[in-house]
Amino acid sequence: MATSTQTEEVAGPASRASWLRRTLTNQQVVLFVVLAALIVFFGLRNSLFFQTGEFSNLLTDFSGLVLIALAETYVIVAGGIDLAVGSTAAVSGVVAAGWIQPLVNAKVNEALVLVVGTLACAAVGAAAGGFSALLITVFDLVPFVATLVTYSVGAGLALVISGGAPVGYDPGAIYWSASGIGMVTWLVAIILVISVVLGVVLHLTAYGRYTFAIGSNAFAARAAGIAVRRHLVSIYVMSGVLAGLTGMFFYIRSGSGAATTGVSNSANLIAIAAVVIGGASLTGGIGRWAGTMLGAAVLTVVSDGLIFINVPPTWIQVVVGALIAVAALLQTFRRRSRRLS
Amino acid sequence: MTTTETRTPVLELRHLNLHYGSVEALHDVSFSAYGGEVIGLVGDNGAGKSSLIKTVSGVNTPDSGEIYVDGQLRHWRSPHDSMMAGIETLYQDSGLAPDLSIGANIFLGRERRRRGLLGRLGFLDQRAMEREALEQLARVGITIPETQRTVSELSGGQRQAVAIGRAIAWAKHVIILDEPTNHLGARQSAEVLKVITSARAHGLCVLFISHTLPHVLEVTDRIIVLRLGRVVRDAPTSQFTVESLLAAITGLSE
Repeated sequence: MATSTQTEEVAGPASRASWLRRTLTNQQVVLFVVLAALIVFFGLRNSLFFQTGEFSNLLTDFSGLVLIALAETYVIVAGGIDLAVGSTAAVSGVVAAGWIQPLVNAKVNEALVLVVGTLACAAVGAAAGGFSALLITVFDLVPFVATLVTYSVGAGLALVISGGAPVGYDPGAIYWSASGIGMVTWLVAIILVISVVLGVVLHLTAYGRYTFAIGSNAFAARAAGIAVRRHLVSIYVMSGVLAGLTGMFFYIRSGSGAATTGVSNSANLIAIAAVVIGGASLTGGIGRWAGTMLGAAVLTVVSDGLIFINVPPTWIQVVVGALIAVAALLQTFRRRSRRLS
Repeated sequence: MTTTETRTPVLELRHLNLHYGSVEALHDVSFSAYGGEVIGLVGDNGAGKSSLIKTVSGVNTPDSGEIYVDGQLRHWRSPHDSMMAGIETLYQDSGLAPDLSIGANIFLGRERRRRGLLGRLGFLDQRAMEREALEQLARVGITIPETQRTVSELSGGQRQAVAIGRAIAWAKHVIILDEPTNHLGARQSAEVLKVITSARAHGLCVLFISHTLPHVLEVTDRIIVLRLGRVVRDAPTSQFTVESLLAAITGLSE
């Protein structure tokens, strides 16, 4: 293998051209351009789009999606899928709302109410994720089926517990949700910080490296001494916790928990769409934090922007479908060009 | 290969027996292997080659018999135990994570952490790993221009060379290679055989499992023939030809 032909074969005279092609077909670069173009397009069509109030709205809508999209990134990179994130947000919001309502009624300090609510949501989310993990690692269900079970159970329980009506009423939470510095509310800031931490863990730590290794070749990961089963459990539990935090996010914004949160809008599928648009492979091993962030941003801008230019909301899903198709085609093209080079 | 009896074998198997239910997979298998020795392990399908390497690497637990590594009696609870004891196993077509970089694959499961607090939080020292990966591969004669490239971008021969390079880099005593030249073209196979030779030069013992008898005759010092779970021949490679080896494998020589 030490021969010079080896080096030529890999680097090749065409390496500069292939570098250019790599950059042009790089999902993140393309997404960034698309995102910028979308913002300019919507802004030109309706100048209100550039006003700070709308920017703040975009950030808030983005925050409602980004945690479950990043959770989905970990799961998909590890070679799985989590259909339960939407209903986990619903059930944790509903359960936590019921638990903390006595605190709200007793006029306890709002910060304490929100901290307790956040812990409660995280705990319910962890239980939901743990249930999926149990089905997958102990009962050997494929992730699609296991998380479909969790999704269904969660959505059903949320309805049963709430009776179909919003649970609790917490005006203090709504009031807090609007506070912050300038355009960025504290709520958004906290979620963005969590998002950055998730990116750092995915790409810079051993935990993230093992996630990629397991999704790429679980057998090799196990042979290399990685505790594959334990790692997968931790990923589904983390996904549940992040979905639970998303449930808390919607509780804070509306001051109550609702069984429709994350279910009526198929948040699980939107999260998966963000990950796929971001360039991840559903077969595992491939995915990037920046891709998911940009994917979630594009989806947020498209859904909000279409309303700004008076496109009926019913069309949004069609546009999202088209975006997924383009992203998937780009990935196929990239894979093919890599094989040829 | 001159096996001086005074040296401690890096791997010694004594009377290994293994059953799968009523099927006898290994029957009283014993042999010693020394550092700097390439041993060919051959046999027909079902002769016990896979059972044997899985027992040595800790996937299977023998019903009876002992495994000594560098003179010490060892018991494996998992493949990880054998790895820690200095035995690297390269399973057929499954050694690497294709979506990870070459460097990440070399260090898979043995990641270098950053110094201090960051390292304790699990932060990886990616630069050190890429640099060391390049050095480790160069040490066994594998030249890769950039280790950031993912394994999926390499040719079959290059992948296999990287996988073996990784095994050599970490093995303290023994490398087990299961059909490393399978599915490879002539030139790529030659590259893999060259890497095996370089492992021997580094004083490692290589257990080379292959159906391709010319490769076995080319690269090994000694050949162990298995048939129906038993060792039927254990002799220096110079005593075999393709024909006599084939006869030993099929049992026509007796």
